Amino acid sequence: MTNVIETRDLCRTFGSEETEVTALDHVSIDIEEGEFTAIIGPSGSGKTTLLHLIGGLDEPNGGSVMLSGSNIANMSGNELSDFRRDHIGFIFQAYNLIPVLSAEENIEYIMLLQGVNAAERKKRVREMLAMVELEGLGDRRPAHLSGGQQQRVAVARAMASNPDIILADEPTANLDSKTGISLLEVMRDLNQKRNMTFVFSTHDEKIMERATRLIHLRDGKVELDERK
Amino acid sequence: MLIFRIAFRNILRQKRRSLLTGLSMTGGYMLLVFSFSLLEGSWGNIIDIFTLDNVGHIQIHKDDYLDRPKIYKSIQDRGQVESVLTDNDEVRSFTPRVFSPALAYAGDKTAPSRMIGVDADSEPTVSRLLQKVAEGAYFSKLPNPDGYYEAMIGRGIAITLKLKVGDEIVLISSGADGSIANDIFVVSAVIGNKTSFDRMAVYLPLSAAQEFLSLGNDVHEYALLVNDKNDNEAVAARLAEQLPFLTVSPWQEVESTFYRTMQSDKQGNYFTMGLIVFIVFVGVLNTVLMSVLERTREFGVLRAIGSRPMQLVRLITLETFMLSFISVVVGFFLVLPIIYWFTEVGMLIPEPVDMSGIEFQHMKGEFSTRVFWTPMAFVLATAVLISIPPGIRAARILPKEAMGSH
Repeated sequence: MTNVIETRDLCRTFGSEETEVTALDHVSIDIEEGEFTAIIGPSGSGKTTLLHLIGGLDEPNGGSVMLSGSNIANMSGNELSDFRRDHIGFIFQAYNLIPVLSAEENIEYIMLLQGVNAAERKKRVREMLAMVELEGLGDRRPAHLSGGQQQRVAVARAMASNPDIILADEPTANLDSKTGISLLEVMRDLNQKRNMTFVFSTHDEKIMERATRLIHLRDGKVELDERK
Repeated sequence: MLIFRIAFRNILRQKRRSLLTGLSMTGGYMLLVFSFSLLEGSWGNIIDIFTLDNVGHIQIHKDDYLDRPKIYKSIQDRGQVESVLTDNDEVRSFTPRVFSPALAYAGDKTAPSRMIGVDADSEPTVSRLLQKVAEGAYFSKLPNPDGYYEAMIGRGIAITLKLKVGDEIVLISSGADGSIANDIFVVSAVIGNKTSFDRMAVYLPLSAAQEFLSLGNDVHEYALLVNDKNDNEAVAARLAEQLPFLTVSPWQEVESTFYRTMQSDKQGNYFTMGLIVFIVFVGVLNTVLMSVLERTREFGVLRAIGSRPMQLVRLITLETFMLSFISVVVGFFLVLPIIYWFTEVGMLIPEPVDMSGIEFQHMKGEFSTRVFWTPMAFVLATAVLISIPPGIRAARILPKEAMGSH
């Protein structure tokens, strides 16, 4: 198996001098293609920070992040944007859908950025909606969808660009238990069928149960890395 | 197109704010169109007054006759000139003229005058000489049965020399050959009023003036009108190529002092219009900045999922452009009938203005495509420019920080 994510001595601090907080302290991990990984740990352990650094949404104070063999530190702003667009799908705790766009359009938008033609976009949008079991709700705007439905749209959006990696930050935190399980089943199914790599930051035991690998963070350091 | 839908829906997101911003742009556009129409209309009227009254759109002279008029600087090859002018579809009409200072006297009174020889038939196709006949009748190009040519005199000459229609006037001048020119003419008409530019002029039929000045068939000037008065400079340039041995001058050169004054006044008015746009767009800038600030989180998401910074600048620019476009289209339909009325009827001036014997009672605007399109282009271009700083602000949003904002 090849590593799709490699971090080496990754460090991230916030604040300065007396107020300085170390969020990540020399974190080195390798994540292989197709892994269903959960980064777990107490609040403030650095889970979200690690996810942001892996996704190129934040810059480390030290160390490196290699994604599919590319060091993202060497990328220009546009290259990093394009890399995120083509290789990484994001799922956020707060869904973060664009409120003026319908579910279909939210999914379609990233393909528009990729330059996919209109017919292909429409076809893939239908596939994605079917995959997350939201057929018939594509024309609804986020305000007219439940939290679970919105998160399903977010999953579909993350999948729409055919990324190598899905980074999901507390994806089930705002969902009830039943909806959370349903959504996790969808993601696990995608992981198995498409061999897509999933990395979660989570407190959710349901995710931990389904994850094939658990990386325990504490005080910005990897405390335990266990594969099931 | 999805990007247009996003932009349009973002405009509708805060309907009241968009409406108020749009109304300010609509109002600004209408004010600009009205000011522009008034400016161009006022100056256009003045230009029409003197170009149609006397100057014409273009004049043709020999060498530097325009700056240093001498009786011997005359156009000799009239056949070629008139052939070029007749064959040119852009030229509506033309007329030849001769000029000379002359001493006019009648009875025991004398007055300095300007003798102007005009072609009785073609002059009315270029100037308002025929309409300016205040007393008597427009002259004949042929001598009367007693062998005297007729003359039309300015109101100033008529007053100074106490002349009326039917009286005789004697002109004394020097001929092109150096001889003393003097002759008797019969007053057929009094022209204009005391304020007319030609109040001290004596108009003679062209052949009489040529004979009087021993000019043969030569003339000093061709004045012409073109079909498109706004294109007169280009027509003049093309005529100059066809008549390289003569000096072809658009009215802007003939009346260069007036033209410079007009340009200065226009620039002052453009500055005022720019100020209107500035005031309107300070409000627009504020609106766009607020909109960007409110959507910080969304921009963070768009950046996170792969939008390039420039794509966000484009989105903001498109939103501002669309709002301003809708505003100016609405403004266009609102201001269209106003400008039409302003051009056709005009505003009544409390005191009528007399220009060379022609009374103007209404201030009128200009109704042309440029009156509408120029402010439209100005507003749209400003909208695009004003949206760039907020766009850059959106583009600089860091996804991680933006998504933490609410």
